[in-house]
Amino acid sequence: MLFGILVVSVLVVAALVVLGLGRRPRQDEGIETFRRHIDALSPEARQAVTARNRRRAEGPR
Amino acid sequence: MARDLAIDLGTANTLVYMKGRGIVLNEPSVIALNKQTGEVLATGREAWQMIGRTPGYIVAVRPLRGGAITDFEITERMIRLLLQRVGVSRFTRPKVVICVPSAITEVERRAVTDAARRAGAADAQLLEQPMAAAIGADLPINEPVGNMVIDIGGGTTETAVISLGGIGALEAVRAGSFDIDAAIQSYVRREHGIAIGERTAEEVKMAIGSAEPGPDENQAEVRGRDLMTGLPKTVILTPEEVRFAVDDVVSSIVSSVVRCLAKAPPELAQDFLNRGVYLVGGGGLLRGLASRLERETQVPVKMSNTPLEAVVNGAGHCIEHYDLLKGMFMGARR
Repeated sequence: MLFGILVVSVLVVAALVVLGLGRRPRQDEGIETFRRHIDALSPEARQAVTARNRRRAEGPR
Repeated sequence: MARDLAIDLGTANTLVYMKGRGIVLNEPSVIALNKQTGEVLATGREAWQMIGRTPGYIVAVRPLRGGAITDFEITERMIRLLLQRVGVSRFTRPKVVICVPSAITEVERRAVTDAARRAGAADAQLLEQPMAAAIGADLPINEPVGNMVIDIGGGTTETAVISLGGIGALEAVRAGSFDIDAAIQSYVRREHGIAIGERTAEEVKMAIGSAEPGPDENQAEVRGRDLMTGLPKTVILTPEEVRFAVDDVVSSIVSSVVRCLAKAPPELAQDFLNRGVYLVGGGGLLRGLASRLERETQVPVKMSNTPLEAVVNGAGHCIEHYDLLKGMFMGARR
């Protein structure tokens, strides 16, 4: 009985530790988020809007 | 499914960008109402044509002044009608990004988002106009270099230094092209004794208005109502007179740009000498303004390719990449 409780407790603690490690933000998460944000502002990312406006300006009014 | 929208809710004009489609609406921010019943009679261009020409029971108003909502209820109705015109209904509620002056207060901010939500938006986010203008003007704001943008709108002028996707220095002043029109109206009234309407003042500004003397300057014939006799009267205005009339407003715009330059971090400030600063917004089209700014700031001033659409295009880019750029919205950073 006592052994069973001990095993279950160990398993629960192990599961919590694994979940906790999984949730801890990775060191490079901020770098990745910032990179994605900056890339979304690059001229390449803006090409779709620019091209659409160019077509609109050149197209029949 | 509604397509998400970006709105440049300007004092002078309202532009709407639809995700995947581009600019779908560009109209003056004017609404005409029946004063007795409160019924909306016209919006946009049609209402603009009514300004100063309405019978007693109709009022044509601009619900925004200085970039801020002066009449919440009318603005909400105007936004609702705008959204209806671009296909928003109670079953299709889009996400909306609205560009507002960076200097608006918390109360004004709440008023804009509430007006958009009540008008049918599922979610309303605010984006600072200079940031949107810099994105729309195609400046390399993703790089670690100083990009300066001067956005001269109808009611506000905002100057911002942007680097690495964020604002490094900002200066805003509640002066814009409507203040230039008002200065012309007031000058003609004071010096020539005639009353002219705001549309006539705007026409004078566009015909002969300038911030600095230039080549091929002409005089303009202005018609109004004589204040003494009450009869229609014509006077001739010279470009020098108009320059004198608008000088206070132009000077306050130039001073705000100088203040922003002074606030910029030194490493970024040196970039302006090579790269120049960019002018956007309808107010930037005043003749001689770029050269006056250049003379007083000692940095090259360039006009954006799409000065009137830069802000909505920038906001449009944010709506196209909503999840990646949502950190730029005003609520997200405060």
